[in-house]
Amino acid sequence: MIPSIGHASILVGLGLTVYAAAAYLLAARGGDPRLAVSGRRAVIGSFVAVAIGCFAMVISLVSHDFSVRYVAENNASTTPPFISAISLWAALEGSILFWALLATGWASLVLHRYRDRYRQLMPWVGATLATVNAFFFAVMTWPGNPFALTSPVAAQGSGPNALLQNHPFMALHPPLLYLGYTGLAVPFAFGIAALATKRLDEEWLRIVRRWTLIPWTFLTLGIVAGAWWSYEVLGWGGYWAWDPVENAALLPWLTATAFVHSAMVAERRGGLKIWTSALVIATFVLTLVGTFLTRSGVVASVHSFTQSAIGPWFLAGILVALVGSLTLLVWRLPELIGGGRPSGTVSRESAFMLNNVLFLGLTFAVLFGTLLPLFIAATSGDTISVGAPWFNTVTVPIFVALLFLMGVGPALPWGTASWGTTRERFTVPLVLAVLAVAAALGVGLRDASSLVTMGLAVFVGGIMVDEVMRGARVRARTRGEDPATATWRLATRNRRRYGGYAVHLGVLVMAVSVAISSGLASDRTVTLAPGETSTIGAYEIRHDRLVVEPLASDERVIETRAEVTYSGPQNGSLGTALRDYPNSPTAIATPAVRTSLAEDLYVTLLASDTATGTVTLHLFVNPLVVWIWIGGAIVGVAAVFAIWPERKARSVTVEQPQRAPSVTSVEGA
Amino acid sequence: MRHLRWLLVPIIVVPLALLLLSGFGRDPREIASPLIGQPAPTWTFTTLDGDTLSTDELAGRPYLVNFWASWCIPACVDEHPVLASAFERHGDELTVVGVLYQDSPADAEAFLARYGDAGYGHLIDESGRLAIDYGVTGPPETFFVDADGIVRARQWGPLTDALVDERLASIGIGR
Repeated sequence: MIPSIGHASILVGLGLTVYAAAAYLLAARGGDPRLAVSGRRAVIGSFVAVAIGCFAMVISLVSHDFSVRYVAENNASTTPPFISAISLWAALEGSILFWALLATGWASLVLHRYRDRYRQLMPWVGATLATVNAFFFAVMTWPGNPFALTSPVAAQGSGPNALLQNHPFMALHPPLLYLGYTGLAVPFAFGIAALATKRLDEEWLRIVRRWTLIPWTFLTLGIVAGAWWSYEVLGWGGYWAWDPVENAALLPWLTATAFVHSAMVAERRGGLKIWTSALVIATFVLTLVGTFLTRSGVVASVHSFTQSAIGPWFLAGILVALVGSLTLLVWRLPELIGGGRPSGTVSRESAFMLNNVLFLGLTFAVLFGTLLPLFIAATSGDTISVGAPWFNTVTVPIFVALLFLMGVGPALPWGTASWGTTRERFTVPLVLAVLAVAAALGVGLRDASSLVTMGLAVFVGGIMVDEVMRGARVRARTRGEDPATATWRLATRNRRRYGGYAVHLGVLVMAVSVAISSGLASDRTVTLAPGETSTIGAYEIRHDRLVVEPLASDERVIETRAEVTYSGPQNGSLGTALRDYPNSPTAIATPAVRTSLAEDLYVTLLASDTATGTVTLHLFVNPLVVWIWIGGAIVGVAAVFAIWPERKARSVTVEQPQRAPSVTSVEGA
Repeated sequence: MRHLRWLLVPIIVVPLALLLLSGFGRDPREIASPLIGQPAPTWTFTTLDGDTLSTDELAGRPYLVNFWASWCIPACVDEHPVLASAFERHGDELTVVGVLYQDSPADAEAFLARYGDAGYGHLIDESGRLAIDYGVTGPPETFFVDADGIVRARQWGPLTDALVDERLASIGIGR
């Protein structure tokens, strides 16, 4: 009964989205405006339908209804309710169902919000979003039916993927990532609408600014949460391995970040129209390519759990999206050329341009490394993998250059920079940076890229603090406010600018902690009998005993656990384990991580001998890793600050308060 | 000249399409087994029926070794009738050996009761030693051994009727 309701809701959703796409398309071609109204209602209806579908799936999972194939494959009668519920996104078919929920949610939100505005653009936006969503409903109707039944009904299911039941972060990481992925269809839809209607001025960019930043924030948090999960669960002591699935999330993030920056130039100065349109298309197509690569089983990845018939459908979808949007772009090429106001070689515009070139370079590098194994296999039949060293070698210099631009760009004026202001702004931060590098050398840091990152971070941070202080000082002087109030008001009166700086600050924190944690990390492998001790860094580690017992929450899972006491900068005891899940051929590591603001002590159990209680442990001391997550949180909070609607001020927003004394009179009105 | 810009579309789309298309039909996780062409591991085990079976009894006779588990759903369920049919068709010249992979005998018996027992023996590999000898990565996985005791083929993932015939031909059955 419940599975039938779920299946029916998908069919209803398919019907509604196909209808909505047709109705919006007719409305866009000059049909009755009421068509757009009914199209919008159909989209909202599809959201309700897929919500019912998701609910039906969660009920089937929690009640262990093994007549549903998805449940039999991803659930067992011993699976706890919470894990059962989040298994909605544990495997392919359920993920698509969840994806459709979020995608129709975004579409409903956007179409409802602008129901009375942008009458030329919105029918095309609606038609694009409904078409994209119809694709996902079609996938669920034909090759990837989440409610497909099995017969005869299995007595017991496989249980969820062992990796997914091991950490609560699985409840957080996929939804954040999917919210980002699905949300990026919105700027794409506006881009298509702008191209289709030839309304290629700044209007659509102004609308999508927020609609890009919101999914961008989710995608960023999703990526950081994924790195955190991999650090806490996979047990190899790191957080980023350039696995294809990580790259798949990074690729649209890179182009979306480039878009956020280039849109600022396009919106402000005109021009860059081809560029911004191409970026918005690339971002959307890359979200599909990433999903295809990791979920179809074409590229080896921890995430390619199943092979399925969905691959060819996804490939067809990608090609239709790519051919359709490129054709539109090429068709409008003559209208897209030109229109920008000229600017100097050294200016904020050129910094933005360089930023975009670098982001695109990164995108190509990552895409190349991800697809190369596929290319080699297709041409010579050999199996190769492109490892982290290659990615690090290629991308680190580009990241370092971007870091540099992050400081220089915002300090340069629009138009043309003069040598005098440039020198005035950069001297003090430069001196500070040199001092910081000298200090780092003194502490014992020798890794070149870590030193460069450190120096740049101080340089960029210095420029940013200087920027904010200049603005705040003007405000404090002219308004008589105390410095804290002045800074807060300055920032909240221009959220976009200062929110952007705060995002950069979060990125700086992450960059420095990534550089230091990879440059100064230490690790060693030790074999200890019970009672023996070893040291790593300033820590002394004592192996107390080896315990083998079934897990309290699921007795089918056998845990082999080394109980360890540690002393040094942090003191206490920990248990690091290997867990044997009945449906996993290899034991799943459950590393123990003891986090402090200065460093993490990270202990993984590699092997054990139950007869003697001897264990082999991999010990890591990873400095500053927690700051990567803190940096991620800063980015998230700052992005929300930047997105937050500005107070309907009576004032005019002023970009460069320090050079506009008239600000006071305008704002103080 | 003005129409040349349309070339942009195929220049971008065609290579990408070909590249992504080339990935189908291949499993990137599949690693060639080093056992191919090598003598098969030797063993003696108790079967689910309580008999004893050893490679000595199989000498001079081609056989296949199928690692499976009752919890391996749906692959082992899908594969089950394929093996039963191969056993039925070639049982006079081929020995089929099932091996329980990280599974309890009780669960395996329940599986056979539910999906049908073709009548060939299943080894209780409690310690997982045989799976380690064969380098099994996960069920279902099947090895094809010829009359001289040499491993000739391996199937990674579930067998289909077509696949089983092709693999059996490599150990001289059904030609």
